[in-house]
Amino acid sequence: MLPQSISSRASNMSRRDPTAPLRHVDPVLIACTVILSIVGVIAVYSATRGPGPDYSKAYLYKQSTFMVIGAGVMVVFSIVDYRKLHDWAWVFYGITTALLVLVVSPLGSQSNGAQSWFALGPFQLQPAEFAKLSLIGALAFLVSEFRGDIDLRRLVALLATAGLPMALIMLQPDLGETLILVVITMAILLVGGLPTKYIVALSLVGLIGVLGALNSPVLADYQRNRLTAFVNPGDKSNKALYNIEQSQQAIANGRLTGQGLFDGPQTKLGFVPEQQTDFIFTAVAEQFGFVGSAVMLLLYGLLCYRIWRIAQVAKDTFGTYICVGVLAMFGFSAFENVGMAMGIMPVTGIPLLLISAGGSSTITALAALGLVLNVHMRRFQ
Amino acid sequence: MDTSSPRLRMSILGVVVLGCFLALFARLWYLQIMEAPALAVQATANRTRTIATEAPRGRIFDAKGRVIVDNRTSLIVSIDRNELKKVKNRNELIARLADVLTANGTPIKISTIEKRLTEKQADQLQGAPIAADVTEEVIHHLSEYAEDFPSVSFERKTVRVYPYGTAASNVLGYTGRITAETLKSLEAGTDPDGVVKSYHPDSIIGLAGVEATYEKELRGTPGVELVQVDSKNRPVGTESYQPPKSGNDIQLHIDIDVQIRAEQALVDRLAVLRGTSQKDGTKRGAPAGSVVVLDPRDGGVVALATAPTYDPQEFANGISQDRYNQLQNINGASALIDRSISGQYAPGSTFKLVTATAALSNGLIDSKSSIYDDGVYRVGNPAQEFTNAGDQKNGNINVIRALTVSSDVYFYWLGDRMDGTTLIQDSATAYGFDQKTGIDLPNESTGYVWTKAEKKALHNKYPEAYPNGDWYTGDNVQLAVGQYVIVVTPLQLARAYAAFANGGTVYQPHVVWKILKPNSTVTNPNDVLRVIAPVVTGTVTLPPDVRSPIESGLEGVTSGAGTAASAFVGFDQTAFPIVGKTGTAQVKGIADTSLFASYGPALSPKWVVTAVMEESGFGAEASGEVSRRVYELLASQTLTGAGTATIGSSD
Repeated sequence: MLPQSISSRASNMSRRDPTAPLRHVDPVLIACTVILSIVGVIAVYSATRGPGPDYSKAYLYKQSTFMVIGAGVMVVFSIVDYRKLHDWAWVFYGITTALLVLVVSPLGSQSNGAQSWFALGPFQLQPAEFAKLSLIGALAFLVSEFRGDIDLRRLVALLATAGLPMALIMLQPDLGETLILVVITMAILLVGGLPTKYIVALSLVGLIGVLGALNSPVLADYQRNRLTAFVNPGDKSNKALYNIEQSQQAIANGRLTGQGLFDGPQTKLGFVPEQQTDFIFTAVAEQFGFVGSAVMLLLYGLLCYRIWRIAQVAKDTFGTYICVGVLAMFGFSAFENVGMAMGIMPVTGIPLLLISAGGSSTITALAALGLVLNVHMRRFQ
Repeated sequence: MDTSSPRLRMSILGVVVLGCFLALFARLWYLQIMEAPALAVQATANRTRTIATEAPRGRIFDAKGRVIVDNRTSLIVSIDRNELKKVKNRNELIARLADVLTANGTPIKISTIEKRLTEKQADQLQGAPIAADVTEEVIHHLSEYAEDFPSVSFERKTVRVYPYGTAASNVLGYTGRITAETLKSLEAGTDPDGVVKSYHPDSIIGLAGVEATYEKELRGTPGVELVQVDSKNRPVGTESYQPPKSGNDIQLHIDIDVQIRAEQALVDRLAVLRGTSQKDGTKRGAPAGSVVVLDPRDGGVVALATAPTYDPQEFANGISQDRYNQLQNINGASALIDRSISGQYAPGSTFKLVTATAALSNGLIDSKSSIYDDGVYRVGNPAQEFTNAGDQKNGNINVIRALTVSSDVYFYWLGDRMDGTTLIQDSATAYGFDQKTGIDLPNESTGYVWTKAEKKALHNKYPEAYPNGDWYTGDNVQLAVGQYVIVVTPLQLARAYAAFANGGTVYQPHVVWKILKPNSTVTNPNDVLRVIAPVVTGTVTLPPDVRSPIESGLEGVTSGAGTAASAFVGFDQTAFPIVGKTGTAQVKGIADTSLFASYGPALSPKWVVTAVMEESGFGAEASGEVSRRVYELLASQTLTGAGTATIGSSD
């Protein structure tokens, strides 16, 4: 009986066992991921091929490679039971924290005034990207252990856990990535049952902190300018505004149906800076217009909805919190990146996950979606 | 309500994320649908640059269809002085450039290059021109080894050429680079296709003469290339290209042969007179003068000579400051002033035409009214004496004789009788004095003919400059002989005689006759865009009893006892009789202004010729002689029929 049962489960798992993980993959989530990844590769290529006639394909090949690697990582992160990963959460957290320390040491490399990556041959490893996922894991671990009962002492522990990578990333400095960690932490604490009084208190502290930071020497002038540019769009002395103006013009240039693939003049001629990463949305919007970019945003929204939904149907709170963290990561990534390109959010460079060029961010995003899929697949087990 | 319920918290999270996405959609809609048109304009301006190429200006023809202003391409090598300062081996560079130029057909010394580099340009924005009209080989070499020639640049410029040299330079004017102020204020014309002939900081515009007044016609339509540039302003492609189109051609009333003759006669005579003494012993400076030849039938300007003058070619490739200063002082006179329209002179006895018209038409005298001229006319008590020139006594004379022999006494008498009226001034106004003629050239002077009231007003306004505001009988006596309270321009004088010649019609003088299509054939009627119609600005009433005695008087001037007889000795007046009046206007401290105003042939006047020469003495000996030489050409044209085909047929 038993051997037969085992063998039947082994051979007919998907057909016979209604709780089998493979029976519960989320096709919508996977479809959104695949389509967005393809859109991303095309957008990156169009933003980097140059005005021609010798089109550069370097970014096309690189980003495709990352997608393939990312797909593999996603499979791994969805197949290995996430509850086993539960025990590994602190290992990941420890590794990324160590990398964050190393990256600000002489081992790390610098560009655009931020020391944020390791040079590994032709590739660049950005530990801050992985830190997002490991923080999600660590916080999900802690909050699920606390079982909805978060007192001040536990809150301090949570904030310390989140604060360490944030502080290290601010040393690089990378304001955008720090902000994502803040948002991830806020989302997990919110859903994890942080008492309302602490939420209010933390919000106040955060508000005062932001106002204080803007008026203190902690931020460099260029950072302050970038953060406040969207509030004062008429300020001609603000250099950050040039980028936003250019990107908004490029977006407007797309009109309803877009200029057509590879036909966006602003995109093609390089008027928009950091076009393959921070301002990737302009390439999409100029070439595919309102219709194309709205569809892309809808897909992104659908992806977020699925993650939100999976957070609710998860078998355990650990799974829920992981989904909440990933939701915060994707939602904020879209809102900040796209919002910045359209001039309604401060200028802080963060990638639009799955769309922007970048190995670390793409692989992290796909790994995160693998985890979410993992939670969904095992919601009956 | 349990505010920490996981379901509620999840919903809050969901609402926040949903809100974020809605905000993104709203903004996307705003940018791509609502604001797109406005932002797209900015975006286009951002990624395109307009490169304008100056088009050739229209050509200028004379009345007989000869090209008197043309274009050609000139290859110019210049050095940017600011860039040169940054060049390390400066002297080697200049030596190298001299070698290249010399080896390729433009011999030049290093010292010449150095000199051109130090010359102050009238136009500081341009590079220092080192060599003009260099060969194609030079350009090939410079472009091939561009890195060996930092700060050296070359350009292909369309420049004006003047097949007749300096002839009519005062009429034609010259061109130059537009100034920043002009660029702001200048209103662009449109070409025959309605395309705006826009201006750019490098545009060449007409700065004087017809080039300036007909700027809107002559200017070509610049070629416009819309170049797509990348974010570093590097050109990556052409979005559109509109090739340059030549400007409209124009045809003048000027007959270049007559113009050249008038200029030559003027220059020659001034040179002869310069340094000699007039009758009273005053040295003649003879620095300057002018000749006007008008067609009395329509106001067409056949010639407009002024001396000294300049070579418009000197302005074509940019003129040095030194040379510019030099041109402003040639024998004490500026070459840049067109005396025929800007010079103001007392008309002297040539004004007796006006006084006689006033007296005859108001019934003060008739053709027979005579007085005894003993050489002196006395006014008031105690008597103030006004004498004839050279204390000549003319005896018993009427108005006819008084004009022929130029009796001042007779006209002093008329001035005395008309004192207290404005009859002379009114007659002067009718003939077109004291007002601009409206000629189509810039910088015309107005002249003046004072009345009692005007003299008073001037004194009240500027008591220092005009210490005496009262009008004396003496003033009116002087006015009658064109002195003291009157100045006129040579063109005004010519126009007045033209009005008399044609029976009383005062025309607005016109230099330009026709506007033609770009690259036109002057004989093709289809190429005429428009003909400048004669404009009548007024009339002088000249019934026979007024006109005949004056005509008789003026007819006598060029023969027998006439004041200009000496100038026309040997000129065949049976075929081409000339009617005229000399003038010798006194100017305090220097030699007299010599004037001669005339027309011919007498019975069917085709030309008015006036000459005015500064510090040149008696009317006949200077201006009369110059006019005679002009008439010699006109008469030969009439006899051979050469002049009749084109003059005045502006219907």
